[in-house]
Amino acid sequence: MDNKIIDIKNVTKIYKIGNINVKALNGIDLEIKSGEFLSIMGPSGSGKSTLMNILGCLDTPTSGSYLLEDEDVSKLNDNQLAEIRNKKVGFVFQTFNLLSRTNITGNVELPLIYSKGKKLKSRKDLINKVIGSVGLLEWVRHRPNELSGGQRQRVAIARALVNDPAIILADEPTGNLDSRTGEEIMAIFQNLNTQGKTILFVTHEIDLARHAGRIIYLKDGIITGEEIIKDPIDALKRLEDMPKLEDKINSLGENALL
Amino acid sequence: MKRILENIKIAFKSLGLNKLRSFLTMLGIIIGVGSVVAVMSIGEGAEASINENIQSMGTNVITITPGREQVFTGGGEVNVEAAPGQGRVFIRTFDEDADEEFTEEEDEEIVAGELYLEDVEALKKETILLDEVIPLLSSMSSFSYMSWSGNVSVTATTEDYLDFAGYELEKGNFFTTDDVSNLSNVVILGYNIANDYFGKTNPIGETVKIDRKNFKVTGILKSVGYTFGMSPDNSIYIPITMAQNKLYGIDTVNQIMAKVESEEVMDDAIIEAKAALRKEHQILPGESSDFEISSSAQLLEMASTVTDIMIILLSSIAAISLLVGGIGIMNIMFVSVTERTREIGIRKAIGAKNRDVLIQFLTESIVLSLSGGIIGIGLAGLITGVLGAFTTLSSPITASPVIMALSFSTAIGLIFGIFPAMRAARLNPIDSLRHE
Repeated sequence: MDNKIIDIKNVTKIYKIGNINVKALNGIDLEIKSGEFLSIMGPSGSGKSTLMNILGCLDTPTSGSYLLEDEDVSKLNDNQLAEIRNKKVGFVFQTFNLLSRTNITGNVELPLIYSKGKKLKSRKDLINKVIGSVGLLEWVRHRPNELSGGQRQRVAIARALVNDPAIILADEPTGNLDSRTGEEIMAIFQNLNTQGKTILFVTHEIDLARHAGRIIYLKDGIITGEEIIKDPIDALKRLEDMPKLEDKINSLGENALL
Repeated sequence: MKRILENIKIAFKSLGLNKLRSFLTMLGIIIGVGSVVAVMSIGEGAEASINENIQSMGTNVITITPGREQVFTGGGEVNVEAAPGQGRVFIRTFDEDADEEFTEEEDEEIVAGELYLEDVEALKKETILLDEVIPLLSSMSSFSYMSWSGNVSVTATTEDYLDFAGYELEKGNFFTTDDVSNLSNVVILGYNIANDYFGKTNPIGETVKIDRKNFKVTGILKSVGYTFGMSPDNSIYIPITMAQNKLYGIDTVNQIMAKVESEEVMDDAIIEAKAALRKEHQILPGESSDFEISSSAQLLEMASTVTDIMIILLSSIAAISLLVGGIGIMNIMFVSVTERTREIGIRKAIGAKNRDVLIQFLTESIVLSLSGGIIGIGLAGLITGVLGAFTTLSSPITASPVIMALSFSTAIGLIFGIFPAMRAARLNPIDSLRHE
């Protein structure tokens, strides 16, 4: 697993706001290997979001090169980028970004609608498979607003997985969740990573970042540091130590009865 | 194909989420299409019934009316001579105060001539191409039976009228040659008149009053329906001699109608009739005739020109509603794009190309507009159905206005949907995802 899945060289991004040029990225070099679990950390204004957008092919760099699976995606047009996003990138957002008026199946199906080929029959199987893998099979007919935050994020993960992308880009996926549910989501990512998925994880919580094998630190549009985590936090172990809310309530209830 | 179906499904889904809004947006199209289709169908129906009426009388009929001849455009070579204005006679009237000066305004054209029963005889004798010739004298007169009274249209004519018009008798007999020559007080009632005034009583043999003179009912016509907006069912028929001498005290007739042997000799027959009448009226060569001859073909053409103009006029008014409906669609689609910016962002992030988003929104506006069109056609069917039930005008919805309406509403969806759809397609995914 030594092959580079992402190779970014000297990437800059300059925004024009009125007459002022704002340098959001100031020469980024980054290599990511296939099957890696990488955390990207940085305070707001560090260029974290800009880097995310470029990594996710939502935007192109002003200069520099970006090879995604050996394909230069730094100079593609909107439609070519859309195709790359569809095939190679799976997004998981902080705010879930599910279609609120479409049921779970419809949401997970979405990337398939925009990709060519795939017969209807195999499509259904595929959708059920990924929904099953995040444990939501009994919820397929429900709409996102009928689910809890953790469940919604699992739907988003299922959607990210359905086209079997090269990278999964998670932008503060636990930001809107309580710590236990967040840990459950991290467990899913770790599990996916052990299955060989490349995961890019953006966060500003060092504790969450340490679930990954490597952390890069971003400040003022440049990478200021890198840390290899020898012994990443195991989310499943953490969960065992964390009290379950319902257990707590149950125990309180028993006490109250006494 | 699968993609299109998917888009249509998505469109119906998202329109269904805002049922009231979608319906109100559609309403403009529904009303527009409904009225255009209804107007066109009613127009077509009216035209067909006029044609049918004219044709039931025969396309080989000529009508002679008093008055200066006019040049019909497109009506065949009816006018063999006398360009308009030719043979104009200036009547010099002296203005007493103006000292023998006469002004332009006082120049008058020769007074229109009259038609007489003698003209009918002359036409019968002098022509070989005219088969049946009948005089007509029509007016409104008071009509009463017992204590019921009202104004009805009286058609005074000869015994040949029944055959000529192709009407049939419900009961009794039409008046005879003797009735005409003897100035008999007999009357034939139109179907509706008989029903209105007599109800279940048998009118045959009853005495009615026309302009306070007694007439004996000898026959009732079968129902005919409308002809040129007038119904023979609402008329009564009396011998023309009787009407001239006893009722009105005149010796003229309103018009003379004649049947020509066949349509092929129509032009010759008109020339012949014209010559006979000019001779009878002692009109010198070079002077214009004091009567007009028109063929049923010309009437047909005139009628269809009139209905065509009406259809165009009414449908263009209705079409404005379509335009307004289209603007409504555009408006609501812009609202929809703004509301669903985030959805667009999600779709784009996940791999929707600009074209996919464009097609999605365009499909939505077309589905909206086309559904409106289909409902509108239903509405038109309802309107014409109701109209058909209450009047004698039958106007079935034919294919052409339906096809036109459908393609029109598709086009409206396309035209007024394209700008909102383009705006949606051009949205930047990053900004759209941040949109609240």
